[in-house]
Amino acid sequence: MALRAAILRHVRVPLQASPKLQPWNGSIRSMSSHDDHLTKEEVVDRVLSVVKDFPKVDPSKVTPEVHFQKDLGLDSLDNVEIVMALEEEFKLEIPDKEADKIDSCHLAIEYISNHPMAG
Amino acid sequence: MGGTKVQRLSGMQKQVLSLYRGFLRVARSKSEEERRNIESVVNQEFRRNSKEVDRKNFQYIEYLLRRGNKQLDQLRNPGTIGLSSLQIDFLKIN
Repeated sequence: MALRAAILRHVRVPLQASPKLQPWNGSIRSMSSHDDHLTKEEVVDRVLSVVKDFPKVDPSKVTPEVHFQKDLGLDSLDNVEIVMALEEEFKLEIPDKEADKIDSCHLAIEYISNHPMAG
Repeated sequence: MGGTKVQRLSGMQKQVLSLYRGFLRVARSKSEEERRNIESVVNQEFRRNSKEVDRKNFQYIEYLLRRGNKQLDQLRNPGTIGLSSLQIDFLKIN
């Protein structure tokens, strides 16, 4: 035990800051009531405004049904950027597997409005 | 990549997009200035390669993926402030 204490006193393990771990977020959210969950209308509005703000997008073409690549002329890299912008807007982290599927406003709205943590 | 015709993504395309996403994610953890810098360099790199690299040149794409993932790991280290330290690497290889 003395040896262990002696070692522990001298060994310094560097702290790894992990941006993914935000314990406070979770506990703050757990205190919020269900009533303040986003309404579908709010999700639609905010998704559309994120897409309209994307530099390469013609805002007049953006509707809740629009497909990013087929209708807006974006490519798969733009698609990644839009989904990342949506993550920031709704304070989510969307796993790769899901993110790869989100290729239209419609799917983005579906995914976000069904996500319990979307804020 | 992509274009107006939408195909299902190949495994390799998914790896490329996942790497791109990884860079954009790690950029968020840096200072505002460094974040913009990382985003712009990474964006240019990926766009340039998506135009210049033959999509059937799997060996080269695999090499780029390996290189990119290594750079991403370096950036994930909180001690790495931004791309400025890795930039030399970018320039040297290209």
